[in-house]
Amino acid sequence: MSAETPFSSKRFLLALMLAACSVILLQNHSLSENSSFLFELASMAAGLALCFLCFVPTLLLRKLRNADILQLSARSPAVVKLPVAVFYAGYFVYTALYFLIPYTDMFHAKYYPGVSPCLITVVLLGCCVYAAVKGVNVITRFGIFLFLFAMLTNILMFGGNLTALELTADSLSWQGSTDDFWQNTRYFLTPAFIAAVFACLNAETNNFRLRQPVCALLFTGLKYAAVLFFIRFAVGAYAGRQEYPTFVLSRTAHFDRFAGVESFYLALATMSVFMIVSLLLCCVTKAADREKNLKTVVLFTLILLAMYTVSAYVNSVKEILTNQNVFIIFTGIASLLPLAGLIGGRKSNAPTLVHSM
Amino acid sequence: MRRLLCIVCSMAFLLTGCSHSRQIESAAIIENVTVDRQDGGLVYTFYRLTSGDDPWGIAVSAKNFEEACRLASEEYIPNLSLSKLELLLISEDAAETVMTTDLPYISTQPFFSPVAYLTLCDDRTVDAFRKTNRTQRLIEQQLILLKNHNPSVSIDYLSVFNHLAADRAEGFLVPFIYSDKELKIAEYRLHAKKMTENH
Repeated sequence: MSAETPFSSKRFLLALMLAACSVILLQNHSLSENSSFLFELASMAAGLALCFLCFVPTLLLRKLRNADILQLSARSPAVVKLPVAVFYAGYFVYTALYFLIPYTDMFHAKYYPGVSPCLITVVLLGCCVYAAVKGVNVITRFGIFLFLFAMLTNILMFGGNLTALELTADSLSWQGSTDDFWQNTRYFLTPAFIAAVFACLNAETNNFRLRQPVCALLFTGLKYAAVLFFIRFAVGAYAGRQEYPTFVLSRTAHFDRFAGVESFYLALATMSVFMIVSLLLCCVTKAADREKNLKTVVLFTLILLAMYTVSAYVNSVKEILTNQNVFIIFTGIASLLPLAGLIGGRKSNAPTLVHSM
Repeated sequence: MRRLLCIVCSMAFLLTGCSHSRQIESAAIIENVTVDRQDGGLVYTFYRLTSGDDPWGIAVSAKNFEEACRLASEEYIPNLSLSKLELLLISEDAAETVMTTDLPYISTQPFFSPVAYLTLCDDRTVDAFRKTNRTQRLIEQQLILLKNHNPSVSIDYLSVFNHLAADRAEGFLVPFIYSDKELKIAEYRLHAKKMTENH
């Protein structure tokens, strides 16, 4: 099966972090409006540090047991195996919807108000099914392209806004309350879902090391810091009024007579959602059933579509599916569950994957 | 695989979107909007994107921009699109209402371009705008020249909104176009606080 092919965790992490950035920034910019730039940076550092802590159980599991949580649970009795599989399948479905709903809403509100959001979701999920069936390794290869495209888009966005920067004497002031700190930290905890993805996939990679999540998180932090800086000092108060401030940043970027790289940013956001949803479908497939790949992917895609349709008509369902607190609690459990595997799981007898792609 | 490719190719031909295509002349892309006062009420004129020199404007009397957009799209231009708006020309006597009511509304709408030009003008410039599309090009040239001459002047919507939100005591500079045989440009100092109090 294609999902068994080992993949490079280095490129995978970098692409995922950049993809996650784009998707998270695309969502409602839920940072506190009362906090200053330096305060935002501090809460971002705290959020990303917590993200790193979410990686620790997976790193330990990899080092000590050479397996992922699903492999460990597969060797356990049915009373352990079934709840773990159900939890991870449910978690990945929830996460896929958590990223898909804001994206589709944005696409519908900004570009195609006349088209049903469900239709946009059908088209997007159709592409994701194909990628998910091909497996994680193919998605990581797509990640190479995504990484470079993300770099290009960000360079254009930041470079094009350099002349619009307006720094004042109070630009580097320190302002914010404890509530603001927690609100911002919660927002920056979103990339922790990648730790949960690795908890399920780390047996399929051959070079997952401690320094990789550290470097990827540092890289993500730098990008976030640049985005926050430009949103704060190039777009200013206008960003606070807009639902999608990063789009404003891409619109205001200009080089002489050439103005606006919005299409670049939209393409990046679309590819990021596409990559993340495909990957989550891969993880769902792995959690649910390792043999019948296509059937399982199609089944879970239909579940995603059904849940999306329900959320489009029932607002309370949508609120639960896009609730940041629920997402973070789920992510925390999913990334810390490998600790339980470490305590209770048996050592793997499977040969270590040695060949790199 | 071949069948799949055939189906995809056929779909690509069928779903090109050409069946619903519209010529640029009949599309409802708004390029410029002027706001002036007539008989005490505000009049918003929406100018569509055209390739000719004759402007194609639709005037709507309304209390504010939000209402004007709604009335224009309900009564005159069903597919009204403001995402390509290039210039918002505000008559001097309508400036207060537009700055305090319309700008906050525009700032929340995702489809407006934050880099659209915004300038104040006298009534004669609004009249000149109704006569020929060349007026727009002349105004844009003047705005760029003014910005090059004095970078502290706010010539786009994003900059004007941010200065209004900053609410500094010394105010901020915006361009003012006036017509005296030919179009001329000057700097005009706006005070956010004064406008809010008067309004």
